[in-house]
Amino acid sequence: MKSPSTLEDLISALRCLPGVGPKSAQRMAYHLLQYDRAGAERLGLAMGRALQSIRRCARCNTFTEAELCQLCSSAKRDASQLCVVEAPADQLMMEQTLAYSGLYFVLMGRLSPLDGIGPREIGLDVLQRRVSDGLVKEVIVATNFTNEGEATAHYIGEMLKARGIRVSRIARGIPVGGELEYVDSGTLAQALIERRSV
Amino acid sequence: MMHNFAGWAMTDRQRAQTEQAYVLHSYPYRETSLLLETFTQPYGRITMVARGARRPRSALRGVLLSFQPLSLGWFGKGEVRTLSRAEWHGGHPLLQGEALLCGFYLNELLLRLLPREDPHEVLFDHYRQALMALARSDASAVVLRGFEKALLSELGYAMTLDRDGDTGNSLDPAATYTYDPERGPVRILTDGSEVSAEPLLQGKVLLDIARDDYRDPLTLVQAKALMRVLINHRLDDQPLRSRRIFRELLAL
Ligand SMILES: [Zn+2]
Repeated sequence: MKSPSTLEDLISALRCLPGVGPKSAQRMAYHLLQYDRAGAERLGLAMGRALQSIRRCARCNTFTEAELCQLCSSAKRDASQLCVVEAPADQLMMEQTLAYSGLYFVLMGRLSPLDGIGPREIGLDVLQRRVSDGLVKEVIVATNFTNEGEATAHYIGEMLKARGIRVSRIARGIPVGGELEYVDSGTLAQALIERRSV
Repeated sequence: MMHNFAGWAMTDRQRAQTEQAYVLHSYPYRETSLLLETFTQPYGRITMVARGARRPRSALRGVLLSFQPLSLGWFGKGEVRTLSRAEWHGGHPLLQGEALLCGFYLNELLLRLLPREDPHEVLFDHYRQALMALARSDASAVVLRGFEKALLSELGYAMTLDRDGDTGNSLDPAATYTYDPERGPVRILTDGSEVSAEPLLQGKVLLDIARDDYRDPLTLVQAKALMRVLINHRLDDQPLRSRRIFRELLAL
């Protein structure tokens, strides 16, 4: 019998994927080796290529293959506005609104004191340098409305306001087309606290 | 069929409990679930799994937030229970700004110092009061000192604040003391032999803390130093993450 150490290596490597425990990792490894060797090869190559060519955009911190991502190098975007989001998926959602034409900064995380994630871990120092380019007039903070996202927004606000930058936070409340009857009480309570005059 | 279904629902409800609780922290668990560290009113800290809570349309997403009074229902035995229902109680606004950091600090203290499944109803009440005060934007330093004192006392490490730990004499408001976590206040001798001791506390400050009177700015400063020493001692000097991050944020 051949030593299974290569197989064991593969199984333990697969466990780095989120939500994959020892059982699922084993299932994946057997599946790839038994039924889909071509798929496994594609996966291996794609992984190697991605690791080699994908890096962080020098201006917005998101994943890119070039020095600057497409969005940051576009001349059509308004360089006076910078929207701060937690993750590339959030940036994608913002883009889909077609309501924003400024630039972005992707934190790749949020402050989470209980997980040991502080300002250095999410690159607030990099954000600060990015904002001091002389072009950014307003920073729009679009982090999540979780406690962690709110804490992140607060400290970005404090940091940038002290340097004379206008900082705003996206609004929260009842969803568009939402009926009060079906909104959860937490959202409704906060919408009441953050009411505006009409 | 009807009968069977009703019977099943009944036994399930019997096994389930619904209690007032707070979520102290949550971690992603498996593909779509959350592992919750909770602080329940009658049973203390309980770990629960919230199945499917990370699915995009899960109704639990907006409910299982820290610092908010919740009603949680769960069933099961063993180390990890299963969450069966969660309801938002309301009553106080969300924490904002610096108060959020204070909230994380309180949660870290509970996670680090409170053993699991150890009932602490009095402490639960202190915790609720502290969060309400933070939500009202009361002076956060006073709220934190009060909670730290209550926490130590509920864990069985009540502070001696009215008499000298060695002699048993009443404290002299004008004298200088240090504090030994096991003995209590120890007077600093005039020959200076213990002057390097930490923390240095005025007798009056200790008496102020005993009465929860923080009007004197000196009391606030020295109480902070004292609590830090006592809490570090209970944590075996393992640093608190929220404290480090708070320091880093202030330096921004
Ligand atoms: Zn970019």
